[in-house]
Amino acid sequence: MPSHSRALGWRRAVLGAALLAFVALGVAHISFNVDILKLLPGNLRQVQGLSRFLQHFAQRDELIITVEAPTPEVAERTADEIAARLNGLPLLVRQAVARPPWETHPAQLSEIIAFLALNQPPEKAREIAARLSPERAPQTLRETVGRMGDSMSPQEIGLLGYDPFDLVGSAAGSLLGADQPQSEFASADGKFRVVYVKSAVLFDNYNRTIQWIADIHHATGRWPGGDGITIGYTGEPAIVASISQSMQSDMQSSGVVTLLVIAFIFWFCYRRFRPLLELQAMLVLIFALTLAIAGWFSGQLTAIGVGCSAILIGLSVDYGYFVYQRAQGFGGSVRDLQRQCVRYIAWTAGTTAAAFFALNVSSLPGLSQLGNLVGVGVVVGALVMLGVFAPLAWRRAQREGEHPPTGVQRLVVSPRFHRVGAWATGAVVLLCLAALAWKGWPGADFAAKPMRPRHSEAYETLDRMALALTDQVDPLSLVVEGGDVDTVLDRLRATEGQLAAAQKRGDIRSFRSALAVWPVTANQRANLPVLGKLAADLPRLRQNVRDAGFRDEAFALTENVLRQWAAWVDRPAPIWPDNEVSQWIFRRVARHDDGRWYALGIVQPAMGREKALDRDVTGEGIYLTGWNLLTAELKRTIPREFGRAIVGIIGILLLLLALAFRDWRSLALFVAATTLVFVCLTGAMALLGLSWNVFNLAALLLLIGTGTDYSILLLLALRRNGGDVPAARRELFLVVCLCAGSASAGFGTISWANHAGLASLGQTCALGLLIDAAISVFLLPLAWTWLHRSRASVNGSPAPPPPGPTRLGSKIP
Amino acid sequence: MRLLVLLLSLCAALPLSAADTPPDLAPLRKWLAGQASVRTVQADFTQTRSFHALRDPIASPGRIAFSAPRSFRWELGDPPRTVVLRQGDTFYLIQPQKKRAERRSAADLGREAAGGAMPMMDFPFAKDFDDFNRRFEVLGVSTEGTRCHVEMLPRDPQMRKLLTAARIDFDTDSGHLLSFEFVTRDGSSLRNDFTNVRLNAKIEPGRFDYDFTGYDVVDAKP
Repeated sequence: MPSHSRALGWRRAVLGAALLAFVALGVAHISFNVDILKLLPGNLRQVQGLSRFLQHFAQRDELIITVEAPTPEVAERTADEIAARLNGLPLLVRQAVARPPWETHPAQLSEIIAFLALNQPPEKAREIAARLSPERAPQTLRETVGRMGDSMSPQEIGLLGYDPFDLVGSAAGSLLGADQPQSEFASADGKFRVVYVKSAVLFDNYNRTIQWIADIHHATGRWPGGDGITIGYTGEPAIVASISQSMQSDMQSSGVVTLLVIAFIFWFCYRRFRPLLELQAMLVLIFALTLAIAGWFSGQLTAIGVGCSAILIGLSVDYGYFVYQRAQGFGGSVRDLQRQCVRYIAWTAGTTAAAFFALNVSSLPGLSQLGNLVGVGVVVGALVMLGVFAPLAWRRAQREGEHPPTGVQRLVVSPRFHRVGAWATGAVVLLCLAALAWKGWPGADFAAKPMRPRHSEAYETLDRMALALTDQVDPLSLVVEGGDVDTVLDRLRATEGQLAAAQKRGDIRSFRSALAVWPVTANQRANLPVLGKLAADLPRLRQNVRDAGFRDEAFALTENVLRQWAAWVDRPAPIWPDNEVSQWIFRRVARHDDGRWYALGIVQPAMGREKALDRDVTGEGIYLTGWNLLTAELKRTIPREFGRAIVGIIGILLLLLALAFRDWRSLALFVAATTLVFVCLTGAMALLGLSWNVFNLAALLLLIGTGTDYSILLLLALRRNGGDVPAARRELFLVVCLCAGSASAGFGTISWANHAGLASLGQTCALGLLIDAAISVFLLPLAWTWLHRSRASVNGSPAPPPPGPTRLGSKIP
Repeated sequence: MRLLVLLLSLCAALPLSAADTPPDLAPLRKWLAGQASVRTVQADFTQTRSFHALRDPIASPGRIAFSAPRSFRWELGDPPRTVVLRQGDTFYLIQPQKKRAERRSAADLGREAAGGAMPMMDFPFAKDFDDFNRRFEVLGVSTEGTRCHVEMLPRDPQMRKLLTAARIDFDTDSGHLLSFEFVTRDGSSLRNDFTNVRLNAKIEPGRFDYDFTGYDVVDAKP
C-alpha cells in the first residue's frame, strides 16, 4: 500500500474516532427539561411569577403518594404503612410523612407559637408579660377555668386545658383558626390521603429520577388495586420521571417511524434496497451529529425540542432524494455531481434553515430551541448528503448503470393521473372551504393544557389531589421576592393593602399572605428582652397553675414557649423557627434561596375578576400568578407576536420573489396559492376540530419557510420550460411529492407525541404541507395555464418539451 | 385550631371493642320515632365537664327549651353565662356577662358542625332513625329497667378524630332524654344530665326572644 494511502486511512480512522467521541459525549450531555414554563417567553410577568413559584416552592425532591380507599380507616392505615415502609429505606428515602409532623411531635409546636408571639407588636408582647406577672397570673388562670366551663367551642375548651395562659390565642389565633375539614394530608371524608416522601437521592439527571421512582414503586408495590385501594404518584419527581420518559419515547418513536415511512416511500418509488440502506444510514448520522451539537451547546431539551428528530429526518432526506436522483446516469465525476447538487441544496437548505432559525423571533424558548436544532440539523444534513452520500450514490450509479423507470415513475407523468389529481385536490379544497364556511374559524386555546402531556399519571393524580384536598377553584399564588427579610416584609405589607382593597371591591373572595408568619425584625428586637426573661418565673408560674387546679401536663406548652424565648435572647434578629414542625409549616410559605427571600401566599379571586387583580396587585418583586392569568397574558401577546413575525417573513419573501420572478403573474400566482393553502389549512383544522394554540401557531412560520418551496419550485420550473406544464411536472412532480411525503411523515409522527403542544404542531404542519404540495403540483400549473392563456394565444403555443428522454429532476438547475 | 387541640392533647386512641353481634336497635328506633311527635321540650340539666388537664370537673346548671321546628334556647349557668339561641335560620351565641353576641347562619353552623364545631347546639339529635344512622355509628345498645344506654360514634371523620366515645341515655317509657356525653381522645368529657323534662308542654311567650339592648352583636366569621 502506498504511504499516502496509509496516511489517508489513518486520517480517516482518527477522524472517525473523533467524530464518534464527539457524538457520544455530546449525546451524553443531553437531558430533558420538563418545566413547561421553559417553553414560554421569559419576559412575560406571569411566566416570571410562575417560574419563581415552581422554583422555590414546588419541592423538587418531594414525591407525593396518594392513597384512595373505600373507607377513611383503610386509607389512613395504608398511608401509615407506606410511610413506615419507606422510612425503613434510608438509602432511598430521607423522610416519608403520612400525617402532620405536629401530630407526632406536638411539643415542637411550642417553637412556632413562641415565634408568632415574638413577632407581634410590642404592646401585645407586654400584655402577655402582664398576664403572667405575679399580680395577674392567678386571675388569668381563674378566667381560663371559667372559659373552660362556659365555652361552647370544643376547640377552645380543648385548647385552654393545655394553654392556661392563652398564649396560642393571643399569638396564633388568626393563623391557626382556619378550620378546614380537609388538610394537606387528607380529604374531608378521609378516604383520600397523602404521603409526602423526601428523596435521599440527589436528582442530578432525569435517569436517576426515573430509577428512584421505579424503586419507590417497587417498595410500595403491594397495594395497587388491592382491597379497592388506589395508589397514585405525583409531585415534582414523579412529573419529571413521567414526562422525561414520554419525551424520550416520543423522540425515539417519532424518529424511527419517520425513518420507516421514508424507507417505504423510497422503496415504493425506486425499488432499490442498498441505496435505501445508505440513505437511512445518512439520516441516522445527521440526527446523531445534530443531537451531539445540541448536547454540546444546549444540553437540556424541552418537550418541544424533542420533536426535532422526526422533523429533521423528514427534511434532510430531501437532499438525499435529490442527490440520488441526480446521480442516476450522471456522466461526470463526483466533484461535478457535488458541484451541480450544491446549487439546489444550498438554496433549499438555506431557506429551510432560515425559516427554522426565524422561530427565534417568536420569543418562545421551546420553539426557538426546536428551530435552532432543526436549522443546524438541516445544514448538517446538506453537508452530509453532499459530502458523504453523493460519493456513495455516484459510485453505485457508475457501477450499476441506469435503471428503467419504475411503475410509480411512469404513473406520475401520465396526463390522466394529473387530471384525477387536480379533481381530487379541487374537491379537498372545496371541502375545506365548506368546512370553514360552516364551522367558522378554528378556536384559540391559550390555556395551560397544550403545554402539558396528554397522558400523564402524575398530572392526573395531581388534579385528583387538588380536587380532594382543597375547596378552592383556580387559586392564585402570590409570590413576594426581595433581597432581604425586611424588604420582603415591606412588600408583603404593601400587598396586604392592595389585597384588602381588592377584597373590599369584591375582586377577591379570600386571601392569605405570608405576612402573618414573616419575621418582623423590629418587633422581635423589642419583644425579646420582655419575653426572654419570663423563663426566670417558671417555678412560680408552675405553682400558680397547680394552685388553679390544673395538673402538671397543662403547663408543658407554657414552659416550652417560655424556654424558647429565653433560648432566642442572644440570637440576632430576624429569628426564624427551625425545628421539624416549623420547617414543615414554613416550607410552602417562606424560602431563602441563592441569597434572596421568597414568600408565598394564596389568593382566591372572585369569579371572572382575575384580570382586575393582575392590574391592581402589583409592584416590584410582587407576582400574583396563576394559570388563568398566564392564559390571558399569552392570549394577549402571542398572536400579536406571531402576526408580526409572519408579516415580516412574508414581506421579505415577496420582495425576494419579485426580484427572482420579475413577473407580476408569477408573483400573483404564488400569493394566490399560498393564501389558498392557509385558508384550506384553516378549513381542515375546523373540520377536524383542531384549534390554534401557542405552539401550532408556529406552523404558519414553518409552512412559509418549507411549504412555499413547492409552489416556488413549480413556478420556476414552469418559467424555465416556457410554460410547458407537462415538462415542468416531469421535472419536479416526484421530487416535490417525495419531499412533501417525507416532511409530512416527519411532522406527522410527532402528532402522536405525548406533549399536546408538540403534537398539535406536528398535526398542523403535516396537514399544511400535504395541502401545500397538492395545490402546488395539481392546481398551480392549471392556474398558470389559465392566466397565461391570452398571452399564449397571441404568441402561439407554449414551447414544446425538450427532445429526448427526460428523467425526473434532471432539469433542476 | 382543631388539629392543634388534638395534638396538644397528646392523645392516645382508645381501642373500641367491636361487638360480636350487631346491637339491638329496636329501643333506639322506637325512641327516635317517638321524637317525631315532640313539638316542644323543656328541661333542666347539669353539665359536667371533666378535663384531663384539670384535677376537678366543672359542673354547671342549665336550662333548655326547644320548639319545633326551629326555635331553641340553651342556657348554661345560673344566672346564665352562655346562651345559645336559635331563631329560625339564625343562631346567636350570647355571653351576657360580656354583653356580647355572635350571629351565625344555620348554614354556616352546619358546615362548622361537620368540622366538629359546637356539637352541643345540635338539637334534636336526629329527625328520624335514618338521619341518626347517617350521622352516627351505633356501637352498642343496653337497657336496664327503663333506662336505655346507647354507645355510638359520629360518622364524620373529623369528629371521629376528636372523639373516642359518644353516649346517650333515654327513658324507654317516657321518651325523655336522660343524658348525653362525649369523650375526647385525651380522656376529657362533657356530660349533660337532664331533669325535670317536660315534653309538649306550653312554652312561655318570649322564651325564644332576647333583648340585645346594649349588646355588641357581631357576625361570626364563616
